[in-house]
Amino acid sequence: MISITAPLYLAFALFIIGMIGVLVRRNVLIMLMSVELMLNGANVALIAFSRLWGNLDGQVFAMFVIAVAAAEAAVGLAIVVSLFRSRASADVDQLTVLRD
Amino acid sequence: MSLILQTFAPADGSAWPGEAPPPGAFSQLLSGVWEFLAHTTGAEYLFFFFALLAVICAAVTVSHRNPVVAAVWLVGSFSCVAICYVMLSATFLAALQVLVYAGAMMVLFVFVVMVLDVDERGAANQPSTRKSRRWPYYGAAVVLVTGMTWVLWGTLTRQFHTSGRTIGTGFGTAESVGRELFGPALFAFEGVSLLLLAAVIGAVVVARSRRERVKEAVAAGTSDEGLHVAGLGSADEDPGTPDLTDAEVRQPFPAMDFGQPSAGGHEGGN
Repeated sequence: MISITAPLYLAFALFIIGMIGVLVRRNVLIMLMSVELMLNGANVALIAFSRLWGNLDGQVFAMFVIAVAAAEAAVGLAIVVSLFRSRASADVDQLTVLRD
Repeated sequence: MSLILQTFAPADGSAWPGEAPPPGAFSQLLSGVWEFLAHTTGAEYLFFFFALLAVICAAVTVSHRNPVVAAVWLVGSFSCVAICYVMLSATFLAALQVLVYAGAMMVLFVFVVMVLDVDERGAANQPSTRKSRRWPYYGAAVVLVTGMTWVLWGTLTRQFHTSGRTIGTGFGTAESVGRELFGPALFAFEGVSLLLLAAVIGAVVVARSRRERVKEAVAAGTSDEGLHVAGLGSADEDPGTPDLTDAEVRQPFPAMDFGQPSAGGHEGGN
């Protein structure tokens, strides 16, 4: 039997690592991957609490989070492809179309 | 550090029975580690191993320069998390994690990275000339990480030291999750199907190239003025004619010019 703290620490670590990636990295693709890591950390927490209460609602919600993450990845990568066609760069600091 | 010691030390603050009290913090830490190891079961060892592996893979994903290598490390992280799901009696979600995350989405990522022809720094052929201010992001990262670490560490060292309620054998299988999914969560399930459809259509619409948009506008009978209003330029030459060479096609659309193609002769996009 695993204590519920262990998966919560795992969720915490994954979320923090993903947040650092989103804030520090400049490559759009790596930022998208970091967002996936954060969603994965949230999933781990949901499943841990689902196990804590013996209730399957958390697992169903985690499945919805996976579906939303897939949709987000599809649209996000389409935006990256579109940006790359017009700017030839995956660096977020160069994507200043709205500002200039 | 003191929180760790408080967690692993005996409850009444005393030393081990039959032993002299530990003289310093180091031996207290050693006794804490010993108690931790003595009370850890095999399932917990397995969980800790794969959780550590998942965290290491995630750290490499975030810190690696090359997006393709980062995607491969991300697959490793997702697979390790899937094994942790099995340890938490979520077998159906573990399968789903491997299929959707480590399978489909990673194929999408790697495919896009390959199509984009990104080099190691993420730029195509031009180096980053703009020297922008990054310190607000670093500051936000430091503040957020410190705050979340403080709150969550303080919570987790004091609470949730339990393995949860007793569960039946069918917990987390495809059957039980499916009953929940098609019972109380049926409306949300159908909503997710709508969301995925919208995402697919949105992805196709957003990722269309300029040439495809011009072709569609011409096929729909849009006038030259309409094309100009839509930002598509003049449509004097039919862009869909297949016998045009690459240079001729690129001529009326300067925004399509990516510069020199890469060594492999790859023509970005279409």
